[in-house]
Amino acid sequence: MSVALVKERYTSKVGEVVLGATSEQGGTRTSTITVGGDSALPFLHFEGELKNRPVIAMEVNDIVPAWSESIMSQFGDVLNNPAVWAKKCVEEFKADLIYLKLNGADPDGENRSPEDCARIVKEVLAAVGVPLIVVGCENDEKNNEIMAVIAEAATGENLLLGLAEQDNYKSITAAAMVHKHTIIARSPLDINICKQLNILINEMGLPLNKIVIDPMIGGLGFGIEYAYSIMERARLGSLANDKMLSMPMICTVGYESNRCKEANTSAEEFPGWGDLQDRGVLWEAMTASAMLQAGASVLIMRNPAAVRLVQKNIADMMSK
Amino acid sequence: MALTGLEIYKQLPKKNCGECGVPTCLAFAMALASGKAALDTCPYVTAAAKEALDSASAPPIKAIKFGKDSVLGDENVLFRHDKTFYHPTTLLIRVSDALSDADVEAKVQEINGLEFDRVGLHYSIDGVAVVHESGDAARFEKVAGMVAAGTDKSLLLLSSDPAALKAALVPLASRKPLVGEATAENYEAMVNLAKENSVPVILKAEGLDALNDLAEKAQALGYKEFVLDPGSRKPVETLANLTHLRRLAIKKKFRPFGYPVVAYTSNPEPLDEIMEASVYVAKYASAIVLNTSTKAHILPLMTLRQNLYTDPQKPIQVEPKLHTVGDVNENSPFYITTNFSLTYYSVEGEVEATKIPSYILPIDTDGTSVLTAYAAGKFEPEKIAQAMEASGIADKVKHRNIIIPGYVAVISGKLGELTGWKVVVGPRESSGIISFAKSQLG
Amino acid sequence: MLIFGERINGMFTDIGNALRNKDPKPIQHWAVKQQEGGAHYLDVNSGPAIPTEERVEAYEWMVNVIQEVSDLPLVLDSTNYNAIEAGLKVCKRPAIINSCPAEQVKIERVFPMAIQYNAGVIGLTMDKKGIPKDSENRVAFAMELVAAADEYGLRMEDLFIDPLILPVNVAQEHAPEVLESLRQVKMLADPAPRTVLGLSNVSQKSPDRNLINRTYLAMAIACGLDAAIMDANDDDLVDVAATAQILLNKSIYADSYLKVFRSR
Repeated sequence: MSVALVKERYTSKVGEVVLGATSEQGGTRTSTITVGGDSALPFLHFEGELKNRPVIAMEVNDIVPAWSESIMSQFGDVLNNPAVWAKKCVEEFKADLIYLKLNGADPDGENRSPEDCARIVKEVLAAVGVPLIVVGCENDEKNNEIMAVIAEAATGENLLLGLAEQDNYKSITAAAMVHKHTIIARSPLDINICKQLNILINEMGLPLNKIVIDPMIGGLGFGIEYAYSIMERARLGSLANDKMLSMPMICTVGYESNRCKEANTSAEEFPGWGDLQDRGVLWEAMTASAMLQAGASVLIMRNPAAVRLVQKNIADMMSK
Repeated sequence: MALTGLEIYKQLPKKNCGECGVPTCLAFAMALASGKAALDTCPYVTAAAKEALDSASAPPIKAIKFGKDSVLGDENVLFRHDKTFYHPTTLLIRVSDALSDADVEAKVQEINGLEFDRVGLHYSIDGVAVVHESGDAARFEKVAGMVAAGTDKSLLLLSSDPAALKAALVPLASRKPLVGEATAENYEAMVNLAKENSVPVILKAEGLDALNDLAEKAQALGYKEFVLDPGSRKPVETLANLTHLRRLAIKKKFRPFGYPVVAYTSNPEPLDEIMEASVYVAKYASAIVLNTSTKAHILPLMTLRQNLYTDPQKPIQVEPKLHTVGDVNENSPFYITTNFSLTYYSVEGEVEATKIPSYILPIDTDGTSVLTAYAAGKFEPEKIAQAMEASGIADKVKHRNIIIPGYVAVISGKLGELTGWKVVVGPRESSGIISFAKSQLG
Repeated sequence: MLIFGERINGMFTDIGNALRNKDPKPIQHWAVKQQEGGAHYLDVNSGPAIPTEERVEAYEWMVNVIQEVSDLPLVLDSTNYNAIEAGLKVCKRPAIINSCPAEQVKIERVFPMAIQYNAGVIGLTMDKKGIPKDSENRVAFAMELVAAADEYGLRMEDLFIDPLILPVNVAQEHAPEVLESLRQVKMLADPAPRTVLGLSNVSQKSPDRNLINRTYLAMAIACGLDAAIMDANDDDLVDVAATAQILLNKSIYADSYLKVFRSR
């Protein structure tokens, strides 16, 4: 006997956001990336259209990062040159886009000038054809300065700029509006603030399809379940036509997972946890997998070996 | 959930005879739904309808118990935020009877070693799936016996040959293994074998329609200890099937699917396999049969399982006692935080990264974060002073500095008064601890 | 919580005149204005403003002129099913038929029509004999409508049960019975049918109309009300609907939730 399956009737879908701009669109990207647009829960092809597959942005820093040796060694000698590093991510590791983190802007560190930061952004733009995500350092004030300059220097490129937060969103929103970029709206694991921030940004005049949500995840083993549930609720909200929660979601997978002790501690130190090599790779890849199941559209990742696993997992989930 | 009027009405004869004392079947259905009438007063209701109405009040997914404390199923929601997931996915490692004796023993030993301690929790693997691939019934029986002798974990015995399964099962029946697999071809023998030995059995069919047929036939044999296998071995199809089965059981109380579901990984590479398994942990598998048994592969999967099966209403807590990070001495800094596991371990991780051996005292805030605890009056200076007293920190360090979370700077004065210690206001977020330590503790 | 704007009704002088004069302006004015106020659907009712024989044509005309200015879906409100059918034929989005009592003859006319035009149905908990006094009989009528939906294959979410509120100044005892009916209706089927009220009726001819409407709306939503035919331009009333939805955890809170409820 044939079984009557339960298929949900959703009234809406996840908003669609385009990242990057080609020369016809006012930028210089060789291709753009579209995220969101799904009309079903993650990977449930029987229920609706999974319009755009989730994408992976690989992380590039403007200063040599203090990452674990097992990640650094996979990049060889490119880590002191963001443009070459980015190129390697795209060509060798098949990154869909590049996430450029400008830690060098930090006043407590290199204290790079906004112009210097903009120059680095331009260099990376010149080196790769994929769209770019650009985020500053840990200092809000400095970030506002550099983002204004970067937004202008890259006018028309439709960068994905971060971060807009509840107490600091106006400057970056204005810069994105004037110079035609998209922004990341970050809220601290709080769905109500997440929604409110989207409303506030939208009220300034930035359209909803120029916003991507960063719900601030935790790494595997460190609160990933909070982000998981918030993202599931947001995804259900978007399908039920909650327009102010319907933006695609971006997750800082590489940063959060590699902060975890399990991704860094050697087997000598903790023999009970097994070899670090595979454990570290899986810690990042599984953080990504959980976020994909909760509805993530953009994953920011570090470890090329983990990226390969997640690419395969996405391909498995998107095959019909 | 109670039955709705419409569900009951559909089972009634619709004669509108009035013999039950209510003029119409519709009205009788409503009286039943609101508990104002009993089904027995209807002289024409069929046995099948009675059975359907009875079983509709059972839980949506039956709890299936086997082996050493393994419980499958008994779930009530589709999303953990709706309430919680109850029974963490049972993880079973596959051992083929085509392996040599030495390899079987080595594998079992490796499986036994899958025990982990992290963030104050202990994880251990649930069991072993002995799979009949040798084509030799005697071999299957022997390997099943070897595995059973080598581990006290839960067992799954898997063979499509009822005779082979019987030989392996009978001596091990007291271990109450899960067995399989019953298919359309062999289900009578398999289900009866399971019934005789009081063990649960896996029903396997290709696709949901066939599985529905098989489940109905198997139920008709008068047994209800089942685990379902919809047959798919392609990850995205397995995800779809797991979702359909869970939805039908929970949203429709569809009885043939009111049982837990087992998933099998198909990716040959171990890391890809673990990624695949993570999908089934997140989406509705009650058990997963895995190939890899490498510690570095299993720990991430068990961590994800533990995370997703955490009750959203009951945060995990750490013991509110004095913790040490590194090789502490009398000059070690002293931090205060809450006993919410996530807060504590975020702080611990950052303190560790400062490379300065330190003390951390989590205050018992019923597992709430700093701000929530403070707002609820669970992070008061009096309580912190008491906890410090009880911890004996004063005898362990010679300095008199307390580092408190930046969010509760407001308690500094009172806490200083009560303890006589100098209160140092730390960063608001744990991510600020490293730069705080650099500048303040240098 | 769905708001069905009540203002396009021939009982109002401006709409009545518009119908008689074939003047689309007042109808279009209220279509836009109710949409801005927060209406999700627009109720369309010619009332007695025009003779019966002109109603078929009038409904087609009303639907067309409304759709020129608003893309909101419509609730076609008439006891003349031919007029409703004429309207359904030109509706661009799935509409709702308002209404069908629990009478076999009318069920046989309305439910197949709803299926044919992919429309919803507002089912009234009454029959030829009128509106029951108590909740039990209201729910019994609701059950008949639920059984009819099941029989004809109308999705339960497309059936809106209206337990019929009467003016509190003359029929006070009905108000609690309607609330109880709203609760009970949710237990008739799974998924449950939706519920609706002609809210303004509760305050007919009372001096404190707005207060009565607001209070009763909040009470009814707590009992499971899904939709109300109401004044979509009473801002305080719309705020009550938005707030009740938040307090029942039906939509996710944000500080600006009132604004979002209207902007959609």
